[in-house]
Amino acid sequence: MTDIIVAEGGRTAGAPPSVHRRNWAWLGLVPFLAFLFLFLVVPAISVFTGALKDTDGHSSFDSMRAAFTGQNLDAFWFSVRFSAGSALVGVVIGTVLAYAAATATRPRWLRNLVTAFSGVAANMGGLPLAFAFLTLLGKQGVLTKIFKAAGWDLYGGDFGLGEVPGLIVVYSYFQIPLMVLITLPAIDGLKQSWREACANLGGTTWTYWRRVGLPVLAPSLLGGFLLLFANSFSAYATARILTQKSSIVPLRIAFYLGGDINAGEDAVGFALAAWMIIIMVVCMAIYWVARRRAERWRA
Amino acid sequence: MSDHSIHMAMPDLVDPPTAPTVMSPRPVGKPRARFARLIPNTVVIVCGLFFVLPLLTLARFALQNVPTILLGSSTLFKKWSLSGLTKAFSDPGFWPALKLSLQLAVGTVVLTLGLLLPTAIWVHMRLPRARAFIEFLTVLPYMIPAIALVAGIFVIKPHARWFLNSDFSLIPFYVVLALPFTYRSLDAGLRAIDLRTLVDASRGLGAGWLTTLRTVIVPNLRAAILSASFLTGAVVIGEFTIADTLLKETLPRFQATFVGREPQAGYGINLLALLLTIGLFVILSVLTRKRDYKRKSFTRQLEKATRMTSDATS
Repeated sequence: MTDIIVAEGGRTAGAPPSVHRRNWAWLGLVPFLAFLFLFLVVPAISVFTGALKDTDGHSSFDSMRAAFTGQNLDAFWFSVRFSAGSALVGVVIGTVLAYAAATATRPRWLRNLVTAFSGVAANMGGLPLAFAFLTLLGKQGVLTKIFKAAGWDLYGGDFGLGEVPGLIVVYSYFQIPLMVLITLPAIDGLKQSWREACANLGGTTWTYWRRVGLPVLAPSLLGGFLLLFANSFSAYATARILTQKSSIVPLRIAFYLGGDINAGEDAVGFALAAWMIIIMVVCMAIYWVARRRAERWRA
Repeated sequence: MSDHSIHMAMPDLVDPPTAPTVMSPRPVGKPRARFARLIPNTVVIVCGLFFVLPLLTLARFALQNVPTILLGSSTLFKKWSLSGLTKAFSDPGFWPALKLSLQLAVGTVVLTLGLLLPTAIWVHMRLPRARAFIEFLTVLPYMIPAIALVAGIFVIKPHARWFLNSDFSLIPFYVVLALPFTYRSLDAGLRAIDLRTLVDASRGLGAGWLTTLRTVIVPNLRAAILSASFLTGAVVIGEFTIADTLLKETLPRFQATFVGREPQAGYGINLLALLLTIGLFVILSVLTRKRDYKRKSFTRQLEKATRMTSDATS
C-alpha cells in the first residue's frame, strides 16, 4: 500500500506533465479525424438516414424492404451469383497460379513476373478492361470470330459479356491476380517438412493435400473468397460498360441516383447502398477473423 | 517497401509477401514427378494467354482500321496506323477532360500528403498507441465502396450544393478512396527509418519543426512519398464511379463516351489510359526498389556507426 502511494507521489513530483501530455497528443489527430468524419463517416451515415425515410420524411423501414423486391431483388440475385462465381474462379485459379509461381524452379523469373504482374492487374478493373474484353469476346471480338471460324458460335446461345458467365470471365482478370497476392504468403508458409513427414508416413500427394495442405490453407482460401466476393460485388465501372441494363446492384444504385424515377423512390436507391455497406462490413469482418486463423501457421 | 507498394489492391488486406522458400518439390525416388507439374504449368500458360490476349486485341482495334468481319489472312497486315491513338487529341472534349483529371490528380496528391504526412509522423512520434486505431480507420473505405459513398453524397447534396457543384469537390472523396494505399505507403516508410532519433538529432542541433520536416524527414521518406503520390495519381486518373454518377467530365467519362462516337479512336484512348496506368506502376516499382536498396545500406551503415560509438562509450 505505502509503496504504491510513494510511487505515485514520485511520479507526480518527477515528471508531472506525462499524463497531460498524452491527452494533448490526441489533438494532433483532429485534422485527420475531422476530414474522415466529413468525407467518409457523414456520407456513410447519410446513406442510412436517407434509406430509413419514407416519402413524407418519416422514418420507416419500407425502403429497406423495397430494396429486396421486384427488379431490385433480381439485381441482388444477379450480383450474388456472378460475384460468387467470379470469387470461386478467382480463388481456385489464383491459388493454383500462386502455387505454380511459388514452387516453380525452372524459369527462375516466373515468380517475380507473376507477383509483379498481379500487383498491376489486380488494379486493372475499370473502363479499359471492359473495352479490352469487348475487342476480344464481344460480338465483333477477335476470339469470337476465331471461334466462329472453328464452328462454334459463341453468341448462338444467350452468352453476353454483361451476363453472368461473361462478367465472370471479365472480372477474373483482376480477381485471379488479387487472389495470387492474398494467397502467396500462405503457400510460402507450407513447409516442405510437412510434405516429407506425410510421405514418410506413407501418404501420397493426394493425402498430403487432403489432410495437410488444404486444411492449412483453408482460412486463407475462405478469406480470399470473401474479399473477392466483396471486390466484385461493389465494382461499378467495368459492368457499366458491359451491360446497358441496370442488372447488378451498383448499376441499380446509380440508376436510382440518376433521378429518372418517381418522387420518394430515391430512398430505395439509398437502401440498396445501405444493404451493400452491410454486406461489405460482414464480408470484411469474417475476412479478418479468417486472416487471424491463417496467421497461426506462420512463424 | 518495394514489394507491397506495388500490391496496390487492398494493400492492408494482403499480407506482405515473404521471401521465396527454397523448395525441393519432388520427393526423392518418385517417378510421377514429370506429371506433378502438369496442372500448375497448364494454369500458368492458360493464365498467360488470358492476361495478354485482351490487351493485344485492344491494341489491334486501336491501331488497325479493319472491321472484324473482314479480318482474315488477306487483311491481317493491312491498314495499321497510329492515327487511332492520336485522333482523340483533336476532339474538343479531350483536353478539358484531361485537364480536369490532371488537376484533380494534383489536388488529391497535395491534399493527401498535406493531411496524411503530418498525421502519420505525429502518430509515430507521439501516439504509437493509436497506430492500430488509425490503421483501422484507413481501411474503412473498403467497407464503403465508391458507389455507396456517392449515394451518401446524394443524400447530402441538397445541403451542400455550393460545394458539390464545383468539379474540385471530388478531391476530398478521391483522397478517401486512395486512403488505404497512401496511408500504408507512408506508414511503411516511417517504420523503415528511426524517426525519433532523426528528429531528436535535428532538434538537438537547433532546427525548428518545419526545418526538421523539410530537411530531415521528407528526404528520408522520399520513396514512400513518391509511391503514395503515384498510387494516388493512378486512382484519380482511372476513377469512374463517382465522376460518372456526379456527371463530372473527367478523363474516364470521356473515355466511356468517346468510344460511342469514334470506335477506333475510342479504343485508342483507352489503350493509352491503360498503358499510362501500367507505366505508373512500373516506374513506381523501379523507383521504390532502388531507394530501398539505398536505404538498407544506409541503415546498415548507421547501425555500424552506432555500434562503434556505443563500444567507444562503454
